[in-house]
Amino acid sequence: MRKRVSGFEVFYLSLFFVVLYLPVLSVILYSFNASSSTAQWSGLTLDWYRELFRDRVIGQAFLVSLQVAILTALLSAVLGTAAAVISLAVTKGMQKTIQGVMILPLLVPEVALGVSLLVFFNGLGLPFGHLTLVLSHSLFCVPYVYIMVQLRLAEIDRSIIESARDLGATKWQTVKTIILPLVMPSITTASLLAIAMSLDDVVISTFMSGPRTTTLPVHIFSMMRVGVTPKVNALCTLILVGTFFVIGLNQVISKNSKLRGLSD
Amino acid sequence: MKTVRQNLLAIPILVWFGLLVGIPLIYVVVLSFMSRDSLGNIVFQFTLENYQRVFDPVYLKVFLNSFLLAVLTGIITLVIGYPVAYITAKLERKQRAAAIGLIMLPFWISSLLRTYGWVILLGSSGVINNILIALKLIDAPIPMMYKFSTTLIGTAYMLIPFMIIAIYNSVDKLDQSLLEASYDLGASRWKTFLKITLPLTVPGIAGGFTLVFIPALGLYFIADLLGGGQTVFLGNLINTLATRGRNRPLAAAFSVGMILLVLGVLAVYGRITKDKVEGLFK
Repeated sequence: MRKRVSGFEVFYLSLFFVVLYLPVLSVILYSFNASSSTAQWSGLTLDWYRELFRDRVIGQAFLVSLQVAILTALLSAVLGTAAAVISLAVTKGMQKTIQGVMILPLLVPEVALGVSLLVFFNGLGLPFGHLTLVLSHSLFCVPYVYIMVQLRLAEIDRSIIESARDLGATKWQTVKTIILPLVMPSITTASLLAIAMSLDDVVISTFMSGPRTTTLPVHIFSMMRVGVTPKVNALCTLILVGTFFVIGLNQVISKNSKLRGLSD
Repeated sequence: MKTVRQNLLAIPILVWFGLLVGIPLIYVVVLSFMSRDSLGNIVFQFTLENYQRVFDPVYLKVFLNSFLLAVLTGIITLVIGYPVAYITAKLERKQRAAAIGLIMLPFWISSLLRTYGWVILLGSSGVINNILIALKLIDAPIPMMYKFSTTLIGTAYMLIPFMIIAIYNSVDKLDQSLLEASYDLGASRWKTFLKITLPLTVPGIAGGFTLVFIPALGLYFIADLLGGGQTVFLGNLINTLATRGRNRPLAAAFSVGMILLVLGVLAVYGRITKDKVEGLFK
């Protein structure tokens, strides 16, 4: 039996959601403002978007960010899934160790992680750029893939895996034909989350960017520090639309694959 | 059978994280005891000078600012977020799914965008001031930007979903029969909440607090954009020292201090919930 929700409670919840989305909506709204200041609303315009597409530096930064995000997601999907699947095969003690290791980067504040990687890569003489960005981003993305895949693995009926083994499948065959297809939706969602997190990271990227490999968030941050301009609003709005398009696509795909599974 | 030999499979993963997390963190600790020459280059000569400077009153104040920001962020997100989690758990199945979706959606929205939204709302020519002036409630804009409280608002706003989800998970797990028993025995709604619900959701509160506290220490871009550098926080200081300031040993010493602060909070979390840290991410 669930208790009734009172009118005041509905009001509180609604108010919370209004405040939660108000800043986001303001950014979107003012990206269409003809005036360059938030002081006045002088009608609708798409000028800021046009100006955006003419900006070479932003285009370059976006390209860097996209490359880094896709590479990070691929690397994290492989490592995170491997860690979760391998956990099935190892002893309890080793399982705990893997879990601990995975959680460590999430517990260290990003600034401290950024500084430690900065001095470490510097000491190794690694050039700062794509490589350092992907390696550092993978640190906070691999754990999420691992956690999401592990949660899915825990739901899987163990007898399926055991029957595959009883029927003579090798370990690798079991992983390839039984386990991976079952956890695939989690891997896809986690990879998308990895892309989103990589595309959004400011703190670690500030330490990892090279002279010619400024990522989009690092560039946007420097734009924001200079002052309020609707161009920033337009850029943020486009990123938001892009992200939501990809999430929506993922939803549709996973729904379709579920439906197909039912009709089989 | 699971044998120790199968543990070998895990070695590549452990090596990967050892190389990218373990060694860099150890290196930071080592570096925090190193000196630097007049050009800012690191000299491998043992010194305690960096830690002496950390305890300089000026820098100690920075620690205090960050600690205060993180604690207050925890308290604000708890006070605002607890009712949200509590009400959400009471909703019908479909509405509940929608509410959880709305709470989680900000994770997918750029954190810079969400911070910038507050600049547009709170600025002296921002939305809130414009509305108040248009309504003739005020004559001149109220200064709301570049204060400690502005940074606090931005940080709490950024992190509140973590708090709500952590609390929601523990409210949702509550044994409904305990609440019914309390009502049957004549306890009021308020008393049931204080005596049953609240104590049973303490692990969720502690988890949420930890998940909010740790990032609150280092989200320096919020302090930069909303606080305007008026109050110096650990994140800003470390960032400046490590990049423009070229004083990496001192940046390392502050990072070590920050990590110790986190370890302190984790120890408290462990005490309260009697749980391992892994419980935070379930």
